[in-house]
Amino acid sequence: MADNKDMVKDLYLTMRRIREFETNAMNLFAEGKIPGFVHLYLGEEAVASGVCSNLREDDYITSTHRGHGHIIAKGGDLKFMMAELFGKATGYCKGKGGSMHIADGTRGIIGANGIVGAGQSISTGVGLQILLHKTDQVCVCFFGDGSTNQATFHESLNLAAVWNLPIVFVCENNGYGISNPQSRHQKIKDVADRAVAYGIPGVVCDGNDVFAVRETSAEAIKRAREGKGPTLVECKTYRQRGHFEGDPAIYKPKEEQEAWLKKDPLDKMSKWMTDEGGFSAAEVKAIDDQVKAEVAEAVKFAEDSPYPTPESGVEDVYSDIVEEVRDR
Amino acid sequence: MSIGIIANPASGKDIRRLVSCATTIDNNEKVNIVKRITKTVMSLGQDKIYFMPDTFDIGFMVIDALKADREDVSGLEVISMPVSGSLHDSVYAGEIMEQLGTGCIIVLGGDGTSRAVAKGIRKTPMLPISTGTNNVYPTLIEGTVAGMAASALTKMDNIEDCCIRDKRIEVYVNGALRDIALVDATVSLDSYIGAKAIWQAEKIKAIIATRCHPATIGFSAVPGALTIVKDTDDCGVMVEQSADGTGVMAAIAAGTLERMKLTEPEIIPVGGEKEMTFEETCMIALDGEREVKVKPGEKITFKIMRNGPYRVLTRKTIEKAQSMGLYLTD
Repeated sequence: MADNKDMVKDLYLTMRRIREFETNAMNLFAEGKIPGFVHLYLGEEAVASGVCSNLREDDYITSTHRGHGHIIAKGGDLKFMMAELFGKATGYCKGKGGSMHIADGTRGIIGANGIVGAGQSISTGVGLQILLHKTDQVCVCFFGDGSTNQATFHESLNLAAVWNLPIVFVCENNGYGISNPQSRHQKIKDVADRAVAYGIPGVVCDGNDVFAVRETSAEAIKRAREGKGPTLVECKTYRQRGHFEGDPAIYKPKEEQEAWLKKDPLDKMSKWMTDEGGFSAAEVKAIDDQVKAEVAEAVKFAEDSPYPTPESGVEDVYSDIVEEVRDR
Repeated sequence: MSIGIIANPASGKDIRRLVSCATTIDNNEKVNIVKRITKTVMSLGQDKIYFMPDTFDIGFMVIDALKADREDVSGLEVISMPVSGSLHDSVYAGEIMEQLGTGCIIVLGGDGTSRAVAKGIRKTPMLPISTGTNNVYPTLIEGTVAGMAASALTKMDNIEDCCIRDKRIEVYVNGALRDIALVDATVSLDSYIGAKAIWQAEKIKAIIATRCHPATIGFSAVPGALTIVKDTDDCGVMVEQSADGTGVMAAIAAGTLERMKLTEPEIIPVGGEKEMTFEETCMIALDGEREVKVKPGEKITFKIMRNGPYRVLTRKTIEKAQSMGLYLTD
């Protein structure tokens, strides 16, 4: 891995972009400008940033209901994302999907998903498609610890292992499934332990350390690209907010929250950059300022965009794909 | 006299499962091993066993399991301390168990876990069991046997002939002690801790080891390809990677033999030291894990000392216990 300054800058830029986007989404939701539900990725930025830094543009990701971070890290357009959150016609899904259904086929973003664990099955399909087309692409499947009790998790890992699919299953273990701490829904602490049951490697890494995530996922992605099959990577991290905006998260012990805030991935990275990475405080601030401007532009784009017309409600309901298939 | 058990729930799960064929051990198996140790020690009449608290609650799970078996668990205690989920837990638990006067601490983990406990103890013997990755320091022994040895040790007046005082490497940066290693300190061309483990031979600048042997796994196996230094030898060894050096092949990780070119091994006597400076930023991996960052031009000093932990010689201890009649019954 090249330990160069550009790589470090890119990692931080992505993390900062996610943080800024999510902080704005949090405030805009509180102001009543964003309808529906918003599940924020605050505190988990190092996972998506570290993993996606190893991906090519033609690789794929599947996401979750907490998907903004994954989409930003894979190159999603902030303007179209924010417009979608606002329910505007210029959004990724023309304002019909909202926060939990953002997708961008041009960038390999198969989509966020409101159904817990659905991304696992979808990624298995993507992996099969890659296998059948004999390319060296990879699919990364992001999901939370809560979803690893779903049948989709077990079915997907089993099939991916049996078919040797090029998938990296990335479990973002943030300690909670909605309001349930992991200890109340699993007898294990390390989800990675479950990999052995499917005959694939399972590894644990510090999900709040972007370098640890990047290094670990790089090896898993390399394995997948070389045809060595799937890997389960568990990133230990923490959801700094409630399950969704509006959830007061009273079930989270104060001490736990405080301890994890001290391990904030952005603080850790910016400190490393100035203390050890050869960056000046001004260089870090320049990145922060750049990101602030990008997100402010995205918010303005969303605010200035029109709402979808009532007539558009019946558009895009059915795809032309059926006809295309018939023509073959 | 009591016994302490420190089991690291994080051992055996890192990136080495991807970059090598390292062993995978899940935490429920660690609970099982600790249960076997505990039952053995209780069977031998030990009335007090302390457990380190951890993120998987290994100690509590063992106590619950034994309660369910209708065993008397009144002598079993998970010590009270904050749990950070990091290496510091093992250091702190070692300190507390020594203060509590335990006669032996059984440590489950890899080289890194043993190193952490060694930082917290001064005189309490340690019995390290391997549940980690490329282990040199802890060995693969059955928990039952470990329990028998630990229990026997607490019943002996003189434990000197059942233990060895290990060597350690003291790492100084610009004259200040920064950390220690029990087996090896490896200088690698990395600039951050990242996934902690090191596995890329081409990044290695130098290896300093308290012992080395070609039949071990990890970076101490590299000088071991040229010379052998035993745990009983009053010296350590240092090699550097050099393009015009002697070509060797060594098992730097499980199932991974790497080729490297080395300078002639330099023997460092106990009490001796080796100074180095590098033009690039480097990380020093201690017992296989990146821990100490060194900036260009900083002076690094490695000292070989025989002031490490007392390590229990399991077979010797059990043989002595047998000769003392500890296993005779009415």
